[in-house]
Amino acid sequence: MPDTASPSPVAVAPVLITLQLNGEPTSVAVPPHWTLLELLRYGLGLTGTKQGCDKGDCGTCTVRIDGEPQLACLTLALEVRDRHVETVEGLGVGGEPHPLQEAFARVGAAQCGFCTPGMLMSASAYVDNLTLQDDPVVRREDIAAALAGNLCRCTGYTKILQAVEEVAQVVLDRQREIEESTAEEP
Amino acid sequence: MTLSSKTENSSQGRPYTVVGARHGKPDALDAMAGLAKYTDDIALPRMLFARILRSPHAHARIVSIDTSAAEAMEGVHAVVVGEEMPTRYGVIPWTPDEQALATDKVRYVGDAVAAVAAISEDVAIAACKRIVVQYEVLEALTSPEAALANPQNKIHEANKHGNITKQVQLAFGDVDAQLAVADLVIEGHYQYHGSTHAALEPHCCVAHVDGRGLLTVWSATQVPHYLHRELAKVLEVPTHKIRVIQPQVGGAFGGKSEPFDLEFVAAKLAMKTGRPVKCLYTREEVFLAHRGRHPFDMHYTTGFTKDGKILAVDAKSVLDGGAYSSFGLVTTYYSGQLLGSPYTFASYRFDSTRVYTNKPACGPKRGHGSVQPRFAIEVQLDKAARALKLDPIDLRRRNFIGENTTTINEFHIGSNGFLECLELVEKASDWKARYGKLGRGRGLGVAGSTYISGTNYCIYPTDLPQSGVQICLDRSGRVRIFAGTSDIGQGSSTMLAVVAAEELGVHLDDVRVIAADSDLCPVDLGSYSSRVTLMAGNACLSAARDLASKVRQAVAKKWGCEKRDVILADRRAQRLDDPDVFIDITDAFILAEVEFGTMGSTGSYQTPREDVHGEYRGGTIGASPAYSFTAHIAEVSVDEETGDVRVENIWCAHDCGRALSPVLVEGQIEGSVYMGFGETVMEHHHVMASGLRTDGARRDTGPGKDGLLAHSSLLDYRMPTTLDTPNLYAGIVEKPDPRGPFGAKEAGEGPLHSVVPAICNAIFDAIGVRIDSLPVAPEKILAGLRAQRSGGQSC
Amino acid sequence: MLRLPPFALHQPTTVAEAIAHLAAHAPDVRVISGGTDLLPNIKLAQTRIQHLVSVKFLEELHGVTRTATHLRIGAATALQDLADDEDVRETLPALAFAASRIGSPQIRKMGTLGGNISLDTRCRYINQTELWREALGGCLKSHGTECHVVPGGQGCVASLSADTVPPLIAYGAIAEMVSDKGIRRAPVQDLFQQDGTWHVRIAREELLLAVEIPLPEPTTRVVYRKWAVRQSIDFPLVSVAVRLDGADGVLTGGSIVVSALGPRPRVLPLNAMAGRKIDEELAQALGQLVYDRARPLPNIPYDAEYRRERMVIEVRRAVRVLAGLPERPLAQQA
Repeated sequence: MPDTASPSPVAVAPVLITLQLNGEPTSVAVPPHWTLLELLRYGLGLTGTKQGCDKGDCGTCTVRIDGEPQLACLTLALEVRDRHVETVEGLGVGGEPHPLQEAFARVGAAQCGFCTPGMLMSASAYVDNLTLQDDPVVRREDIAAALAGNLCRCTGYTKILQAVEEVAQVVLDRQREIEESTAEEP
Repeated sequence: MTLSSKTENSSQGRPYTVVGARHGKPDALDAMAGLAKYTDDIALPRMLFARILRSPHAHARIVSIDTSAAEAMEGVHAVVVGEEMPTRYGVIPWTPDEQALATDKVRYVGDAVAAVAAISEDVAIAACKRIVVQYEVLEALTSPEAALANPQNKIHEANKHGNITKQVQLAFGDVDAQLAVADLVIEGHYQYHGSTHAALEPHCCVAHVDGRGLLTVWSATQVPHYLHRELAKVLEVPTHKIRVIQPQVGGAFGGKSEPFDLEFVAAKLAMKTGRPVKCLYTREEVFLAHRGRHPFDMHYTTGFTKDGKILAVDAKSVLDGGAYSSFGLVTTYYSGQLLGSPYTFASYRFDSTRVYTNKPACGPKRGHGSVQPRFAIEVQLDKAARALKLDPIDLRRRNFIGENTTTINEFHIGSNGFLECLELVEKASDWKARYGKLGRGRGLGVAGSTYISGTNYCIYPTDLPQSGVQICLDRSGRVRIFAGTSDIGQGSSTMLAVVAAEELGVHLDDVRVIAADSDLCPVDLGSYSSRVTLMAGNACLSAARDLASKVRQAVAKKWGCEKRDVILADRRAQRLDDPDVFIDITDAFILAEVEFGTMGSTGSYQTPREDVHGEYRGGTIGASPAYSFTAHIAEVSVDEETGDVRVENIWCAHDCGRALSPVLVEGQIEGSVYMGFGETVMEHHHVMASGLRTDGARRDTGPGKDGLLAHSSLLDYRMPTTLDTPNLYAGIVEKPDPRGPFGAKEAGEGPLHSVVPAICNAIFDAIGVRIDSLPVAPEKILAGLRAQRSGGQSC
Repeated sequence: MLRLPPFALHQPTTVAEAIAHLAAHAPDVRVISGGTDLLPNIKLAQTRIQHLVSVKFLEELHGVTRTATHLRIGAATALQDLADDEDVRETLPALAFAASRIGSPQIRKMGTLGGNISLDTRCRYINQTELWREALGGCLKSHGTECHVVPGGQGCVASLSADTVPPLIAYGAIAEMVSDKGIRRAPVQDLFQQDGTWHVRIAREELLLAVEIPLPEPTTRVVYRKWAVRQSIDFPLVSVAVRLDGADGVLTGGSIVVSALGPRPRVLPLNAMAGRKIDEELAQALGQLVYDRARPLPNIPYDAEYRRERMVIEVRRAVRVLAGLPERPLAQQA
């Protein structure tokens, strides 16, 4: 049966939910048909997360939900109740930029900067999940695969991949150092 | 990889300190942190939201518009229709054929008809549905063939010649005579398809009228100055009562380089309601606004001597313009005028016709008007090289036009690093060892191109400067630049900071650029035609040199030496001959302020007007202060069973005169190559066929398909992802041009052009199949292979 | 931007509660899992619905469990989790591969197996905005009476575009649904009908709980192949699963499942081919078989003639992979 009926709107009162937003408990009343993107941008003023395509085709609105990169434009705000949501605003720590932010800025990985917040959220999930045990080598194709849901129209991706590669290498090197130093202990 | 020339700041006799250094953008961390404010990030108290009602017909007369039901809705504050601002406008003042909202006719599916401002977007959407528009549907003409075959069915009644918006016919030398004596004549028919900019930020505008009656418009535009002028004209408000601010822009590529309906609508609704109004395009509306690459149908005849010299180029092109003129007058000229280098033509003529069709209007996409003819000529050259058994790089070298010379259509070429570009990509790709030797299924292809660094003449006739920059020095050691320039991600603000920091001896972080605010900044014409580095850069250099001179003079006075003995570098003023004698730059600025009072200066740039263009009608269009040059080599592999073409590597070398910021120049090269690659192999701004045949008879395709966009989402309009994009190698060639700031020329558009033919030439090298009709697609490869097996193609 | 119209969202924490919501609001109700297909369709007003029932908080719909005879995959298991699951990769590699090729990394983190099975059909005339469809004059799936794919056609032929469906059918998966009337089980193959407006035989009152796939015999091997223009984000334009049963290079049975055609996948049993060697000749023969028996339509956005040709090639390549041959024909190896 096709959805041709044009139903009269249901009564949809906002619902109060609590979530962990960039590490802080946040309570907010939100209508059921609002997406997480609308809640962030227009409800909470966190405009760092961008909107590019309306419907999940470009990755620009990527945020992390319980650590996983997901699309805020296709996530109903009520569905993130009690979950951890991280946006680009929460990426740096203590006033210092995240290493990815520093690398993106240094190597010129952002031109217009519009895809950058989403790109950073996908990249940070990739970097955070790196372990020496899983794979001791940084590969461009793995990075490209991790970022394959984020379109960029300015850079040709070259400098984005370079920035993520540099940070990934540092992360693995640090893990290697820690491993070696703990191995040395009797 | 970089080929560069001498590296000295000639004004101070010391090596460059900022120019040419590998820096990023000083303000990049704002974007990283999500702090950079784009237009849709603006929220003002009591702000209303606007939505635009659009035509579902490709061609129709508007009989009536009834807005009463919409106006009666709770939450609706105002409705606006075309009659309230009927003045026709157009970015090119000679072709004002657009209206903010249509009054008499709609000319493509998506043409704007009315708009609503309401307390929320949801209410505005609902209200739009209650506006009743009665149309008298007209035959839609959605191909140039149909539009030319039906001149009586005028898309614009006021147009002189049927549906022809512009025709340009220019001839230089005796083409027929040269073709008659040519050893080889190559004739080719080429089709270049439509593509669009698809910047990730959808167009957005916020407008507000303050208590003093000042209308402020924030817009995601790349031409705030032209927007300012057209707003004044259409809204009938003097320019001094309008302030245009361009916030951070999320990409543009030519897609935001003229006024759009949403800007007039937001402004008019703000004026009507007295409240701030925001209008944000949906992604579909971005595709409808378009102004992207014109589809071209091209017929090229090229004559050669047996040693590969180009004797004649005869080009005939039909441009599918869409519903409005946009920049089309210029596009039509560019389709022929920009082909005159980097090769010498002994004779040349072109005949280009731009046609109105009932489709989204085409306009200037990166490489405006010259990417399509470049594709045709570079494939022609490849065919000639095959026929003459010459290395295609060698053939291009033999036709090199040289530097400090004049093209056949009388444009002055200054510096020219084209040979160095060829050399760089030849080496980087290991061409000599690999071209023609990769085995069947793999191939290399080469192509070259040129592009303008701005245009000598402004879009509207004026003797005013094309760019103005104002710089203030602060006693804190800070440098403040006010410029009308429009940073759309390419880094024009960084460019200004580099120029000022170089001259004033400060670090990039010490410079603050306040740009694109018509109340605060002197006028710059905008970010189009690759003009900003050369023009605003020169204006900035002029202002910075003036201030540097005063600072050096003040320090010299204190030290009792000559001004020329004082240099400014690395946050210091120091003795040229004794680096141990220095003071902090802040103290130098203070000395200067004591000496001269508050430190400020302005700089202007006006283009050269003498001996730089042809003395014939149209001879100024395409004339530029300086030309960039580019060479590409593409490497492809072709799967002959599926027809898949995999572009593996693209090497690009670009002569930008001087790379003020090599990291940013590389970014422009990589981004251009990416965009050209994307439109070559997968992107297509495709409008579904008309219901009309070329003979004017009705075709039975069912109702309503006329002029519908086939791919109006970022799902269906396929832009390459990380996994689709080849390895891109950006090579910088520096051949400083005396007309550019520190020798700099453009870098933002040139590197797109020749990637397209390079890929197609590589496909031929791989499998012997020509793709003369873009985009490259597997079914075309398979068709070509079938033709080959049945003895079809040869060169 | 495109907005969602108002609706009620029910977020049950038990299956019983979920069923009650579905029963109370049917037919004006939909299950929302990842939302990556449903929400775009609602934004485009292609789907109009007043009640959504979320499965996000239903624990028993998540995860993969292995029994002696079956793998059971909860309907709300994320596609990426499916692709990464050790058991799935080991026993049902074609399913893991299909899941790994869906959409983008984000879509796979959000989208679920149940959502993919229930994916709405796709067509260039329906996956558009309201303005676009109004300009078209509608179609059988959208407030119209005419099919633009098959002129004069009476039934909607929008395309099944779910990557997981061909391998699920090839592996003989069983779907398990529950409603207030109890539990119902049906082969995934039987879930689809030739009606693009509503092609999944799962009632609005029903909740898809899980699919169960029998552990394949060592002699059963399945390969899934997808063709799309891009390496990421895109829906399949050609989608085939080839199952060949047999030992020592001799075919004993199997099937070819072709999707991205119309609303229903085409299942071609290979029993009649039993006894043939699994080799290049078989690749050619099976290519010819699908050419004769399955025909892509001009419904999804790519040239239908090429898609037909490509479908044949992908089947050939699948057979070559299963035969241990290089993917491309030997003549083409450089």
